[in-house]
Order: sequence, then C-alpha cells, then structure tokens
Amino acid sequence: MTSWTERYLAAALRSIPDPKRADLERELRSSIADAVEERVAAGEDRLVAERAVLEGLGDPAQLAAAYTGRPTYLIGPELFPLYRQFVPRLIAVVVPLAAVVMAAVKVASGGSYSDAIAAGISGAISVTIQVAFWATVTFVFLEWADSARKARTEIVSATGRWTLERLPDLSAARVTAKESVGEIITVLITIGGLVFLGSLGTTDTSGSEVPLFAPAFTDVWFPALLAVLAAMAVLHVMVFIVGRWTMALAVGHAALRVAFALPLIVLALNGTLVNPAFAAQIGWPSLAEADGPAMLAVAVGTTLVGGWEILKPFLRARRARGSGPLVGASRRSA
Amino acid sequence: MQMDELIGTHRQELRRGTVVLACLLALRTPGYGYGLLKTLDAAGISSDGNTVYPLLRRLEERGLLESEWNTDESHPRKFYRTTRAGSELAAQLLADMADLTASLRTLNGGTDR
Repeated sequence: MTSWTERYLAAALRSIPDPKRADLERELRSSIADAVEERVAAGEDRLVAERAVLEGLGDPAQLAAAYTGRPTYLIGPELFPLYRQFVPRLIAVVVPLAAVVMAAVKVASGGSYSDAIAAGISGAISVTIQVAFWATVTFVFLEWADSARKARTEIVSATGRWTLERLPDLSAARVTAKESVGEIITVLITIGGLVFLGSLGTTDTSGSEVPLFAPAFTDVWFPALLAVLAAMAVLHVMVFIVGRWTMALAVGHAALRVAFALPLIVLALNGTLVNPAFAAQIGWPSLAEADGPAMLAVAVGTTLVGGWEILKPFLRARRARGSGPLVGASRRSA
Repeated sequence: MQMDELIGTHRQELRRGTVVLACLLALRTPGYGYGLLKTLDAAGISSDGNTVYPLLRRLEERGLLESEWNTDESHPRKFYRTTRAGSELAAQLLADMADLTASLRTLNGGTDR
C-alpha cells in the first residue's frame, strides 16, 4: 500500500491546476517531511508522527480549496439573496402555467377531466423540481465558473444595490374599511346571484316548472353554499376588526374558498349542476352535459379565480407579519 | 453555543487578520513553511499549516513575498522572503495595529486590562 503521505498529496493536489501542481507538491512534501522529522527526532514512531502531521493538516479538499481560492460552497453570499428572490418567483409564474397547459393538452387529446386534473398536478410537481434544479444549476455555474466571473459581477452590480425604495409598503398590508366593505358586498352579490339563478326556470309544454339548477343541487348544495358564503362575510368582518390578514385568517379564508369552489367544480364536471331538462327545454342540451364547453368553462374559471383568491391573503399576511398592532393603530389615525 | 466555544470563536476571529502581518514581519528574515510555523509559535502567535501554507502562496502571488528553492540541505525547501512592497504593507499594518490598541485602551478607560 502507498504511504499515507502519498495518498494525502494525491488527494490534495487533484484539483490544483497543472502549472502550479509540481511546485506545490514539492513544497507540501517538504513541509510534511519537516514536521515529521521533528517529531521523529523527539522520539516518536515515524508512522505515528506521519499520521499526526497529516491529520493536523486536515481535509485535503479544504487545503486544496485554500490554495486555489475556490469557494467551498455552491452559492455564495453575493448571489444568495438574488437566488432566494428569483427561484420562488420563477416557480410561482412557470408552474401554474405549465399545469394548466398540461391539463388542457390532456383534455384536447381526449382524456377525461379527472385524467386532466391528475396530469395538471403531476405536471406541476415535476415542473417545480425541474425549474428549481436548473435555476440552482445556473446559479452554481455563475458562482463557480471562471468564465462567468464577468457576468456575475454585472448581475450583482445591476441587482445588488439596495435602496430604501425596496422596503415593502406596510400600508399595502393594511386592510382598510373600504376594502372590507367591498369584500362583504361581493359576498352579498354572490348570495343574491345564487338565489336569483335558483329562481330561474322555464316551463315545459305541459306548463310545469323546469328550474335551471338540477334538483339534487337545489336540495343539498344550494343551502350549503349559502352557509359558506355567510361564513365568508363573517370572516371579512373579522379581518376588518384585526386590521390585517393573519396566517390563521388566511387559512380560514382558504378553507371557505375551497368549500365553495370544490362542490361547484365537481358538480359541473359530473354534469349534475344544471338541470338537463332545463337545457333541453331552452334548446341548448350541451349546457348541462358533463363534458360540454359550458361546464368546463365553469370548472376552469372557478379553479383559477379560487386559486388566486386563496393565495392573495397569504401573500398579504406574510407582508404584514411583524408589523404588529402598530398597523391597526395607524389605521384609526389615518 | 457553550461560553468556552463562544470565547474561542471571537479570539480566533480577532487573531485571524494578524497572521498576515506576522508572516510579513517574520519573513524579513528568509524562512520556509514549517520553519515559519515554529517561529510564529515561539513568538506566541500559534497558527496551523493549513492556514499559513496557502497564505504564503497568496502573498507571493500579490508580490508581497518572493520565493526561492534552497537545495543545499537534507531535502529541498522553498524559502520565502518579504519584498519591499511587503515590508511597506507590514509597516502600515503595524501602525494601524498600534492605533487600534490605543483606541481600545481609551475606550477601556485608559488601562490595558
């Protein structure tokens, strides 16, 4: 077996560029020999001395990094703030887009809606991993590659200068009376709209009533959705009292949004939202069909709007975090 | 973090910047890697090979040290010597060090301890 010193030198010199390697090897060998000789002269066993000296020098990879000046990290403090800002934003933009496209492709190629939803979810997961991976690789390249040194300097100088204007606007995190009233009015209009649609209907040739909504929806889901909307109005009153979105309120809001949107989406995709008899009577039978364009539009629209509405309070809650009761107090004085 | 560990970290941090100055001062008399470690140790500035050896190379690249292989002895050794630029930097750093010590003494109410 080769000696510990030879193995140590090989490990340390592996990453040293060619022109410097020979000289460095000679010097390192001489430094190790000096240290070993001194220990041996003091009466230590040569192998024990060699071992102690090499262990004292530490991890050869660290030593090599100290010689070359190469970083011992993937992304350094200069680029890291940019990385933290950039990657989540990139994911937030690209992933929903990709999920919608993949779901749409599934539908266009004749897949069922549940297949499309599955395709959207699995697409979102794999695109998230891909985007995070390649964005990270790009940053690591910027950090490590000698050829990227100029680009790195330019990027850092273009984005790196911090100014006061970059501070988040706390007033944007505050929930105003106007805003809360607007939200509550929106909820009331939705309740009114639902009740109005529930009263819509036509009469068939025999003169009996044919309502717009399917009977099962009117009996079970209609009152449930009205209850969810009423709870939503109460929640907006609570948000106004607190003065800002908190994580707990955002979670409650998300739960109510899901409770409202999920039945609508499922019923629309099942074809049990609109009364088939009504659709037939007005001469547009595809209106009630599970795979018709009208119900697909209802499902997709509800998903997109619901998703964005669920996200908003979380963003504002995060922004308001740490601003404490000061924000509520300044609302009164404002 | 344990108190001992905390104190150790801060002492190490305080000493880190002085290793360069110590090397530049010591190598006004030519010396090789391991010999320099012993010299620093004897002067009360203990440092490790994995810090000092790469530092010597960096200081040489910046023109603060110059080196020469000596093959007269039992095995070849690379001898470093502080250049004129290195001496000038050392004088500057030494003056700064004295100023800092004076400033700290003032902050401490005019005493060393």
